[in-house]
Amino acid sequence: MQPDAAVLVAALALPFVAVPFVPALFRVVGQRVAFFAAAVAAGSFGLLATQYGAHGAVQLPWIPSLGVSLTLYVDGLALLIGFLASGVGVLVFTYSYGYMAHEHGHVKYYATLLAFMGSMLGVAFAADLLALFVFWELTSVTSFLLIGHHQREDASQYAARKSMLITVAGGLFMLAGFLVLAFASGDTAAGRTFVLIGTENSLIANGEAVREALRAAGLFVPALALVAVGAITKSAQAPFHVWLPNAMEAPTPVSAFLHSATMVKAGVYLVGRFRPLFAPELPSVPEWTLLLATLGLVSMTITAILAVGATDIKELLAYSTASHLGLIIAGYGLAGPAAVELGAETGAFHIFNHAVFKATLFLVAGIIAHEAHTRKLEELGGLAGDLPIVAGITGIAALGMAGVPPFNGFWSKELLFETTYFVAVEHGGLYWLYPAIAVFGSVFTFLYSIRFLMLFFGDRPSGLADDIHRPPLAMLAPPALLAAIALATGIVPQLGIDAVVQSAFEASLPVAAEAHSLTLSIPKLFSFTPYLGMSLLTVGLGAVAYPFYGRLHAGVRWARAVDYTSPNWYYDGLTEGANGVSRRLAVGLHGGAFRTYVAPLLLGTAVLALAGYAAAGSISVDGVGAVPPVPLIVVLGVAVVGAGAVARAPSHIAGVLTLSVLGFMVAIVFILANAPDLALTQLVIETLVLVLFLLVLDRLPAYYGEIRSRARGIADAALASLVGFTVFATVLVATSASPEEPIFQYFLARAGVPAEHGPFFSDFGGGSNVVNVILVDFRAFDTLGEIAVVAMAALSVLTLVGMRAQTETEMAERPESDSADDPAATPATDGGRGPASASADDPAPSDGTDGSGGVDR
Amino acid sequence: MSEDREPTVIVKTVTRTVVPLIALTAIALLIRGHNLPGGGFIAGVLTTTAFALLYVIYGLDTVRRDLVTNAGGVGLLSGPTQSYTRAFAGGLALAFGSGVAAMLFDVPFLTQAVVFVDGIPLYGELEFASALAFDLGVYFVVVGSLLTIIAVVGKE
Repeated sequence: MQPDAAVLVAALALPFVAVPFVPALFRVVGQRVAFFAAAVAAGSFGLLATQYGAHGAVQLPWIPSLGVSLTLYVDGLALLIGFLASGVGVLVFTYSYGYMAHEHGHVKYYATLLAFMGSMLGVAFAADLLALFVFWELTSVTSFLLIGHHQREDASQYAARKSMLITVAGGLFMLAGFLVLAFASGDTAAGRTFVLIGTENSLIANGEAVREALRAAGLFVPALALVAVGAITKSAQAPFHVWLPNAMEAPTPVSAFLHSATMVKAGVYLVGRFRPLFAPELPSVPEWTLLLATLGLVSMTITAILAVGATDIKELLAYSTASHLGLIIAGYGLAGPAAVELGAETGAFHIFNHAVFKATLFLVAGIIAHEAHTRKLEELGGLAGDLPIVAGITGIAALGMAGVPPFNGFWSKELLFETTYFVAVEHGGLYWLYPAIAVFGSVFTFLYSIRFLMLFFGDRPSGLADDIHRPPLAMLAPPALLAAIALATGIVPQLGIDAVVQSAFEASLPVAAEAHSLTLSIPKLFSFTPYLGMSLLTVGLGAVAYPFYGRLHAGVRWARAVDYTSPNWYYDGLTEGANGVSRRLAVGLHGGAFRTYVAPLLLGTAVLALAGYAAAGSISVDGVGAVPPVPLIVVLGVAVVGAGAVARAPSHIAGVLTLSVLGFMVAIVFILANAPDLALTQLVIETLVLVLFLLVLDRLPAYYGEIRSRARGIADAALASLVGFTVFATVLVATSASPEEPIFQYFLARAGVPAEHGPFFSDFGGGSNVVNVILVDFRAFDTLGEIAVVAMAALSVLTLVGMRAQTETEMAERPESDSADDPAATPATDGGRGPASASADDPAPSDGTDGSGGVDR
Repeated sequence: MSEDREPTVIVKTVTRTVVPLIALTAIALLIRGHNLPGGGFIAGVLTTTAFALLYVIYGLDTVRRDLVTNAGGVGLLSGPTQSYTRAFAGGLALAFGSGVAAMLFDVPFLTQAVVFVDGIPLYGELEFASALAFDLGVYFVVVGSLLTIIAVVGKE
């Protein structure tokens, strides 16, 4: 079945279209706007559901003149992510109604969450790499806003910045990888394309040729690594997992939605999507496996160990999320003859299972935090008496997370064990480390899962509040529904597989591969296999180790405190180090002294211009040796005398007056050169500047032209001479240039009134002043731009002066008023003044309209 | 200018005579710009010079009091900044609008046209260039912007 373009676009656009309605609706219905958002999510879910079973690409023309089109692609994997984003979205919006009841910033919260959902759907369905990148970064931006929901708190700011820096930086690596891929595809017969999948010329359809082109250029591994960096930063894999625990500053529904079920899945989705491109059917183990399977398994183990060291329930879940994402990446990463199919099954099935049980657990964590008013593990325990239903829900989800048969997580983890086992059997040697690491990491997964479950059992700590209420229905129904799905998938795994997992894993197989159908059922548990043994070993080791959980916890915390092995230490060192550098740089570059701005600017311009002329090679210069007419010599002589007088002027008034001598002489040069328009402009500007100087003269400081030291004087003189020489050379070179077909002939021919004409025409200028016709007709667009700049300069002056007055008032009020008032206002004012004043001080761009006014400045 | 250095009577009288002349010249330059040296930009700067001269000689406050309050506060002079900003915003809108108007006739943005009209008294045949509307926009942007800057900086 071909996907329906209109339905697909509607599903993607619906969340974005709904965003502007959130503020208005909030005014009318208040917090019940949550249900509006849930309805939007349900609408997207419903629209996508009509595409269930569809497979193929739709292309929508975007910029037809450039051949750019938006390509959307539907297959099992895209639908899996799309269903997760919209389906979990419905539940999270409903849950938020209860959770956010006593919070603030609802409009921002729901609007951003909707925009996030739309972006995530975009990631899932975009087949065009550039569109994918845009949606990808949009999820990072919305995640930034949601993590920083409590925007006044330092911890939130830190967490939001950290996640933004890491995920966006990773996204840029990914973009570089995309560009490498697109350029490599240019060397194939199909031609350059950004379309990843779905069309005849797409990268995956021509995978063989693209891989050959990449290898020929030596770019296969770099391209793979660049794309992988994007995936592992987004999916919080070691050593970039550090942003995820901090991201728990976000409200819990956000954590459940973005940081477990969907956004972090974007990375693993990317891995699954690129698998057919980078991991073809080869007799040997591809680089793909060496890189991603190793990284996934190591990351899974490290973050599982860190989860054991967690003290906060959300921190535990965050590390656990990173760990399970590692499992998925390892699954997709395992390729080669033995694992190409099993690995994809592992990845796809665990995406589904993990989203279900982890979103449940996050929602449970939200209930606990909401009702017990603490998230500290040691302050919680024995909650089953207060929250029996929640305890049941948690049992299903936590046992699934632990991988205990026959709960849902068991099935996909079992597939991982099976895959690693077969890879090890096939290749032997060091490959036996894969199953070993998988079991080792899973033991820790078992440990923290049971620890989470034990929040509901055992002794009640004495500090725990007595009045723990049952959560409202809006908060209870979503996790209950998810737990029911988890339970059903656990008991009859075939349900989940048939629904979406089968088609999702087929998307990650090499193009030519024939997929067999995956069948899993409870009876499989009764026939012993080595990998079932691995599962049992995991559970057994976990059960033996659990009594020592306290010691393990302490040990992990001790190990975490070591600076040099902690990515956080490097992150903080880097960002704080950058602070110092930028402060020094700001002082150096933006010190306020006019010299520091002007000298590098002039020097740079002069050197670059001269270097450009030198690089261009021999430029013939016309008219060298010609003697100018006497009037010109006289006028230029007066100008030179005036220039000398400017340099020697003892006061401002003398300086301004002698400078205007120079300007008027230039105007006379224009008259002598038969350029009355230029001369007029020059004269008028000169007069205006003179009058303006008179206006402000008595406000200027009295000192004038003081040379501080001999060395500085020499340096200034040298710079001034260099600039003078550059201008001289530029005039020579520019006036010598004679293009083959000078455009002035066209202007002259077209500017006037044609000999034969009717009462109305628009193909001729109709004016005898060519300069003016050029300005208002031939080059009217330029003029429009220039007057816009003039207007902008005036606006900047208005704004800056207005802001200064405002800042001064604020400064005066500051002592009395609370400083928490609005901390953002002042830095913004200061920051705004620097760059903008540079353009506002100098209305020079306007002079450029006639190309004459600025000559003598 | 500060109070202690009051301009002389001669300067004041000359200014009073010269300013209308400058303004008139500016308008002439604007209108004839299409066929003879001149145009919106030059006319704008010249007009600004006239105003700047008034400000320098009489001071901002006097200009506002005498020309604005006593004259009923109409037109460009109704006080620094606000009406000036209106002038450059309007000018920009006029210039842009003249370009958009061309699109209504299904020709590219900013295409200019010329109409010759017969039978005007005294003149006979008269040429109307749509470019004049654009030039008028340029004129108002220049006058408005420069006067805004002068007024704001002058007030400082």
